[in-house]
Amino acid sequence: MASHIVTSADVAPDGERLKSAKVDKIKMIAGGVSLLLSIVSAILLFGPKETWTANYAYSWVFALFFFFTLAVGGCFWTLLHNVSNSGWGTSVRRVFENLGAVYPWMFIFAIPLLIPNVQQYLYEWMNMHRGLDTHGGEYSVKEALHHTGDPHDHLLYLKHWYLNIPFWYGRFIFYFIGLSAVILGLRKLSVAQDTDPNPGTSRLFRARFHSTYTLIIFAITITFAGFDWLKGLDYTWFSTMWGVYLFAGSALNSMAVIIITVALLQRAGYMKKVVTPEHFHIKGKLLLAFTIFWAYVTFSQYFLIWYANITEETKYFLIRNTGGWNIGMMALVVFHFVVPFVILLQAWLKRNPKTLSLMAVYTLVMHILDHYLIAIPERSISLMNMLPDVYGDVETTIPGAFLGDILAFITIGSGFVFFYLRSLGQNNLYPNRDPRILESANVSN
Amino acid sequence: MSTTRKRVYGYLAEFKSASALYKAAEKVRDAGFRKWDCHSPYPIHGLDGAMGMKRSILPWLVFFGGATGTLTAFLLAYSTQVLIYPTVVQAKPVNIFTIPAFFPVMFELTILFSGFTVLFGLLALMKLPRLNHPLFASKQFHRTTDDAFFIAIEARDPKFSPDATKSLLEEIGGSNIELVEEEG
Repeated sequence: MASHIVTSADVAPDGERLKSAKVDKIKMIAGGVSLLLSIVSAILLFGPKETWTANYAYSWVFALFFFFTLAVGGCFWTLLHNVSNSGWGTSVRRVFENLGAVYPWMFIFAIPLLIPNVQQYLYEWMNMHRGLDTHGGEYSVKEALHHTGDPHDHLLYLKHWYLNIPFWYGRFIFYFIGLSAVILGLRKLSVAQDTDPNPGTSRLFRARFHSTYTLIIFAITITFAGFDWLKGLDYTWFSTMWGVYLFAGSALNSMAVIIITVALLQRAGYMKKVVTPEHFHIKGKLLLAFTIFWAYVTFSQYFLIWYANITEETKYFLIRNTGGWNIGMMALVVFHFVVPFVILLQAWLKRNPKTLSLMAVYTLVMHILDHYLIAIPERSISLMNMLPDVYGDVETTIPGAFLGDILAFITIGSGFVFFYLRSLGQNNLYPNRDPRILESANVSN
Repeated sequence: MSTTRKRVYGYLAEFKSASALYKAAEKVRDAGFRKWDCHSPYPIHGLDGAMGMKRSILPWLVFFGGATGTLTAFLLAYSTQVLIYPTVVQAKPVNIFTIPAFFPVMFELTILFSGFTVLFGLLALMKLPRLNHPLFASKQFHRTTDDAFFIAIEARDPKFSPDATKSLLEEIGGSNIELVEEEG
């Protein structure tokens, strides 16, 4: 329905930049709030009370991984757009890149996980490794695990090649250095095009080439960060679907963030010429596709574990199907899949930025529930095992710990908003000299 | 020379290119015609908009077809596995919470019923299969599978008139304008 053909006369030669006093104000408020609450969080995490640290450590992991998935998803969409040689999304590609550019900053919020004082409440296997009797250094950690006398520790002995503390730290550093280098490199390449008097296609092809093998770095990062930080909360649990499951949520919800961002930018008067309802339609289709993919993967994981009924695997769902958590798990089926699936089927809704943004916000709310159910049910059960004197009479939830979850969410969330708005303002909002910008502006589907 | 009276199908006009066809389609649409069609060797992006076509109702048929599949599978599995002959597998519950076991079947039948609805709904909406089409009487029409772009305006259209429609087609750049009569 191309009623008006966008030509090079419609595209500003020097591009558009986000210049708004309102956005600057929001950015500074978000940054200030994050800084202030980070201090409060630091007091909770490293303060005097053991229960504060123990409860809040889980809140932190929940909030950290939620925003981690959004930033990682930005990297994913950038890589996918380049590697699939896409033309449709050139107008919105910079938003993908800017969302991905938040990723390196997530390291700041991941720092608490590096500190043993926090780790001791989250990762039981680390406590066991640290508390081993190595006979004054005579035994290595692996040998010592073999000689504890407790048959349960044999699992840790077998998993030692992966679950050992130096390798864990090594991986942690790799996640941030690897994918940060990838996204910052691609973004730099893309931004350099904006001011080049002879733009040409060379950067496009270079971005395409470098997005191929770096897609592997992305896959390793989301999979193993999920293994280390979330699945590691219970070292006895097995699930081979875990990485895919987290990836599905990540791609889905970063697309939701992208949709909201582009809709708000257009409302504020930016990107008017290059982004059309066609782009929202395509993004809406991706939102629908990943809603289905998320359901497919999540159900596959549940189904195989439910059917096989193996003790090592069922534990995860036993915890989450006990007490109030069960309502949350069943709500996921209906409200994370059935409802958005039926609503997103409609084409008119996907073409309207306003209705699509509402669905994107809804999807993000469901993502909060999803990730809350990943991290938080582990808290009471793990702490009860680790600190029976303190948490002995706790059942499925720890009273009052919920407030910490909200605090951690706001702390990391406002930091995320700050860094996201900062990166959106650092360069042009769309790649105005990309050879495919007109193809993208005139896209129809 | 035949003396039998033939029924007029309508006018067929050739256009030089896809873009000429596109622009002509917009004008035919604006002239208010309803019973007409474009013929091109390949799909043209946005031509449905230029022709002023409404969205097909097929998606709605498919939605209800798929929903019927979901429901059929659920009722089939639930009645046989829970109500009529409760089947206990690995001490799993035999009630509504057995539903995860039914999901694969529900998924499959949703796809199957949707697929059937797409196929048969499409055939019905396109009035296919049919043995012949009046346009096949035209000697030049076969070129639409090769290199020619056509617009055909049917005589059934209330706005059709032998002279005005012909001059409209000439005006919008049509050539080789032909009055197609049904064979036989």
